[in-house]
Amino acid sequence: MAVLQVQNIEKHFGRVQVLQDISFDLEEGQTLAIIGSSGSGKTTLLRCLNFLESPDGGKISVHGETLFDAADPATQREKEVRKKRLHFGMVFQSFNLFPQYTALKNVMLAPELLAKSGTDYNKKESSVEIETRARQLLKQMGLADRADHYPHQLSGGQQQRVAIARALAMKPDIMCFDEPTSALDPELTGEVLKVIRSLAEQKTTMIIVTHEMAFARDVADQVIFMDQGVIVEQGSAREVIENPKEERTRKFLSRYSES
Amino acid sequence: MFWTVTNAMLEGMGTTVELFALTLLFSLPLGLLVAFGSMSKWAPFRFLAQVSWALQWLKKLSYLRPIKLIVDVIVWVIRGTPLMLQLMIIYFGPGLILDNNIWGSGNSGRFIATVAAFVLNYSCYFSVIYRGGIEGVPVGQREAGQVLGMTKSQIFFKVTLLQMIKRIVPPMSNEIITLVKDTSLARIIAVSELIKVGESFMKSDGLIWPLFYTGVYYLIFVGILTLLFGYIERKLSYFR
Repeated sequence: MAVLQVQNIEKHFGRVQVLQDISFDLEEGQTLAIIGSSGSGKTTLLRCLNFLESPDGGKISVHGETLFDAADPATQREKEVRKKRLHFGMVFQSFNLFPQYTALKNVMLAPELLAKSGTDYNKKESSVEIETRARQLLKQMGLADRADHYPHQLSGGQQQRVAIARALAMKPDIMCFDEPTSALDPELTGEVLKVIRSLAEQKTTMIIVTHEMAFARDVADQVIFMDQGVIVEQGSAREVIENPKEERTRKFLSRYSES
Repeated sequence: MFWTVTNAMLEGMGTTVELFALTLLFSLPLGLLVAFGSMSKWAPFRFLAQVSWALQWLKKLSYLRPIKLIVDVIVWVIRGTPLMLQLMIIYFGPGLILDNNIWGSGNSGRFIATVAAFVLNYSCYFSVIYRGGIEGVPVGQREAGQVLGMTKSQIFFKVTLLQMIKRIVPPMSNEIITLVKDTSLARIIAVSELIKVGESFMKSDGLIWPLFYTGVYYLIFVGILTLLFGYIERKLSYFR
């Protein structure tokens, strides 16, 4: 069964419909890339999955458990939402690291707070375990020697890798990336993409909103092309990017191959 | 004579420092409350926007945010009038209008009224600084906390608070230094603060230099505060 099931998501901002009847499934260990021009609703969709926006309609289920149902207000209470959003990890375009903490502390903070709050939905961890794992994650990101640096002492690419480690530390079922390289200088995108690629190789379930077409084609299993709030085309990455069926997809992709 | 003047002035300085400290003690937390009030989104008539039978002008009520409105008007009045006038209204007002001097008689009554006026005035100024600090922390910081499953209070205390403090230290130090010198306004209702003590030597001994000499006290006081704020800013300079 699919890890993630998204059914008929709708979202309006005032009178503008930004998401219309969005449905898709994602299998365990698969990587899904969402492509499309700016303003097509990709980021909003990702923010809905992370409960940063509340959809006006539709259902979101993970491992068969309904996390969000627009028709059922009980799924939208703050306390419930806080537990449920831990199924998702989120990496932002602008990193959003906490500037007053070191890289290591950025990764450790949320797991520590969770362990302290004494709730039982995540296995309780000792602070030693948390630190060991945080260091392990930083090492995996190639940042073992940057653990004690503050965000402003790190390059953009390093900051984004810390942000990825921070999201992984919560052991999410699905990792979400919102244009993870868009805020980076071109020479720094490679190191971030490399890390995401290695996560894909380890069969991490991921959703990536991206403008890097070659990367989407090589790393993603599935691709969704969105335009004006609807899914225009979805399918296997190679099929959609190299052999698109829809006119709108072709037009969009041709702009990338030209440049 | 110099030592007599210096000793008398130290006493005046005591009153000044006391007024300064009490004003800060109450207006720092009260200002935060005022700031939250001015950011209140509570709109009790919001439902009117959806009601089909509501008249057009009645629908406008749906935008009304009463707490924000009341707080904004108070801040406007307090920032829009001189502190000296507020001091006189607060001290003399109850006695003249209500025939009931709630402040009690004598020096302690004057002093309490002064503290009340200063707290009211400075809470409003501080609230604007706080609001700038709160709104200056990028939304992404709160969102990052949210997606990591933190509670609202964890996000406030562990993520945004320190960033907010860092942002408000420079404008706060400005305002607090202004407060040091504003304490001299208390003289208008005959509180024996520093300036009033300095001035008194003009009448009793015909001396002008004690009044000028008060400047030294203010300079030393502000000098100490400047060092303190510099220290805090340096302490917080380890992150950006």
